[in-house]
Amino acid sequence: MSAPERKLRLTDIINVNIWDVDSKPHIVVNYDKCKNCPTKACVRLCPTGCYTETENGILFSYEGCVECGTCRVVCPMEAITWTFPKSGKGIFYRFS
Amino acid sequence: MEGMNILDQKFDVAIVGAGPAGLSAAYYLAKKGFKTAVLERGREVGSKSIYGGRIYAAPLKEIYPNFNSIPVHRWVKRERISIMPDYESMISIDYQGKEAISFTAYLTEVVKWMGIQAESAGATIITDVPVTNFYKENNKVSGVVSGEDVLRSDVVIDAEGVNRLVLEASGIVKPLKPELVALGVKEVLKGESKQIEDAFGLSQNEGLAWVFLGAATANTPGGAFLYTNRDSVSLGVVVLLDKAIANVKDHVSQLVESLRTAPALKNYLQNLRISEYSAHLIPEDVWSLRPERLVYDGLLITGDAAGLLLNAGYTYRGVDFAAYSGYLAGKAIEQAHAKGDYSAGSLSSYESMLEESIVIKELKRFRKVHEVMKNGLLFEKYPKIMSGVMKRMFENSDGPSKAWDAINESCKENQYSMLKLLIDGYRMVRSL
Amino acid sequence: MGLEIILLFKYVPNTTTVNVDPNTGTLIREGVPSVVNPHDLVAAEFALRLKEKYGGRIRAMIMAPPSATKGIEYLVGMGVDEGILLTDRAYGGADTLATSYVISQAIKKVVDHYDLIVAGQETLDSSTAHIGAQVSSWLGIPYVYYVTEAELQDGHMILTRQLETYVEKYRVKLPALISVLMHTLQPRDVTLKNKMKAVTQKPVKVYTNNELQLNTLCTGLKGSPTIVAKTEFIGKIPRKMQVIQGKTPEEMVSWLISKLKEEKVI
Repeated sequence: MSAPERKLRLTDIINVNIWDVDSKPHIVVNYDKCKNCPTKACVRLCPTGCYTETENGILFSYEGCVECGTCRVVCPMEAITWTFPKSGKGIFYRFS
Repeated sequence: MEGMNILDQKFDVAIVGAGPAGLSAAYYLAKKGFKTAVLERGREVGSKSIYGGRIYAAPLKEIYPNFNSIPVHRWVKRERISIMPDYESMISIDYQGKEAISFTAYLTEVVKWMGIQAESAGATIITDVPVTNFYKENNKVSGVVSGEDVLRSDVVIDAEGVNRLVLEASGIVKPLKPELVALGVKEVLKGESKQIEDAFGLSQNEGLAWVFLGAATANTPGGAFLYTNRDSVSLGVVVLLDKAIANVKDHVSQLVESLRTAPALKNYLQNLRISEYSAHLIPEDVWSLRPERLVYDGLLITGDAAGLLLNAGYTYRGVDFAAYSGYLAGKAIEQAHAKGDYSAGSLSSYESMLEESIVIKELKRFRKVHEVMKNGLLFEKYPKIMSGVMKRMFENSDGPSKAWDAINESCKENQYSMLKLLIDGYRMVRSL
Repeated sequence: MGLEIILLFKYVPNTTTVNVDPNTGTLIREGVPSVVNPHDLVAAEFALRLKEKYGGRIRAMIMAPPSATKGIEYLVGMGVDEGILLTDRAYGGADTLATSYVISQAIKKVVDHYDLIVAGQETLDSSTAHIGAQVSSWLGIPYVYYVTEAELQDGHMILTRQLETYVEKYRVKLPALISVLMHTLQPRDVTLKNKMKAVTQKPVKVYTNNELQLNTLCTGLKGSPTIVAKTEFIGKIPRKMQVIQGKTPEEMVSWLISKLKEEKVI
């Protein structure tokens, strides 16, 4: 019998993935627009947790992005300039 | 087009995206002698491909004569639908069929296989290059743009997937809205093939497709799924995005993690290790998401970009539909080429062939499902009613109650009429 | 005229993101795709800028299994002109000495003329930084490493070499070999035009030992005095995600310093 499964932290989960991380971001967030956001849905719904809420507002990091497009769709403020990484960079799926 | 590099090399057909739709089109066209280029943003063909986990075989058999070499993991011979009132209990319906019509696989592998078919047929696949726009001459799409480079072609197939940056850039569609799509989040959990077979009671090459409703989505309209692969399990949760904005209070990854660690699934998922975490948007309200036309002068739109994905309530069907739409786009181009005319009018045989095909027929047949899903009953009310029924039947200390009484009482408790429940049930069964 | 440049590169498993099994803490290697060594991409960018300035041609050279053709295609996609693939079973299992031997002999045998050999600082997967030094020794040409700038002057090359606290200027005769300081430049993106050329024209010359006729006692495993006796994974370093606190950059920096002290990092 094994121990009961415990939930993993998101940072540990995404550690199993492979990225060729670009040196420049493919997504740019206009933080000024985030200040008045009524939902901040990106924080909960970005599957890899690229958006963090801090006391100074939203912080975005593109490195763990899986290019799903969710943030762009749920953002009510049109704060996100969203493109795909160039040169084949970004997520590299193997088993999905 | 100022500051643009127009490449000397010109193709008959340029295809945006090396996914199931784009590659199936490329395969067909290259086989028919068309000089075909596929432009793919990923490093390798298949490296950006992700889906739930199951593919229906029939359309692919029609497209690919050597379908037998497709990298199948397991043929789905068992289907299970479970309603989870909470993470500890579930009510399941099992179905065991004789003939398998769908199989589990990694889309990364299947798409790679399709790429090999297309290249063997003579298509040119260019990876590492995202297409940014269409190139137009006299208002007719006459190639594709990537950065500052232009690749000219007589006709273009858009197979860019659900995030339609190119169609948006060219003004054909507007940006997606939350009510049009669902978000799927998935974990692939690895073990040994024997371990999978023992845990799920499967024989070799035999697969299970399992759907969960209720608690698995935090009662948000959507569903959760489990597919058995050769030596792994694909476990995922799908939530309608507009509902998720309001409903999902924790981080969305917690939905999959809660399911993975659910006591109800403990016996199945023990000792498997997570080997990939992925996410994707899924066309949900496909009729609203669909571009006004699927053909324009010099352009055909296929796959997810065209909203050609079926949500049957208990399963999604996207890969084979995408592939089939690409295949039909290829046929339409062949016919248009014979007429020497790539105008929208001439290409419209694509729309009519789609209309006649399994793709649109099935989409129409399931049109209502989306409405049923949206009303939320399936995800909130029914699990509670069912759970009440089961509790009365199996956990009644005075002894079991009669099924009919149990249903009746549970309906009353949940303020839902039994007649309505029966009608809903009948509708659901019919639509399944 | 222009500069005839040879770009040395390696095609390595992409370990920029380290895959760790969250339960066991062990490395996962399954299905890890290869990439052009990121430091060699910087070297490629360096070479491309030289070519833009002085004209000429860049040929990317690698000793590797045939799968490294993908790496050549990527570099041609960036703007490199051609690739030279040195591949043979007899070259397999080589350490840096045997590798540099094959590369230098191939340069002597199949490259009619070259002015400059450009390499990355080191590789992602082994970080030895041997190849540049060894190849230049075999060829008997000047070698300057940690280069950040290069300029042609009267048939010589003026090189800027950056060290931690000072900068050196070198004036070297050509041909020479340089390795480019990592992170000096941002590698450019692959373009449709160049990648199309890479895929449709396949400008790759392949040489096996049939053509190169090297003594196989000096190549591959046989020619390798170094053996990696053991590799030990040093264990998982638990990540702690914290968001830097503070309203001003000054506040943020002092917050960061105090946290790093707390963790005994500094």
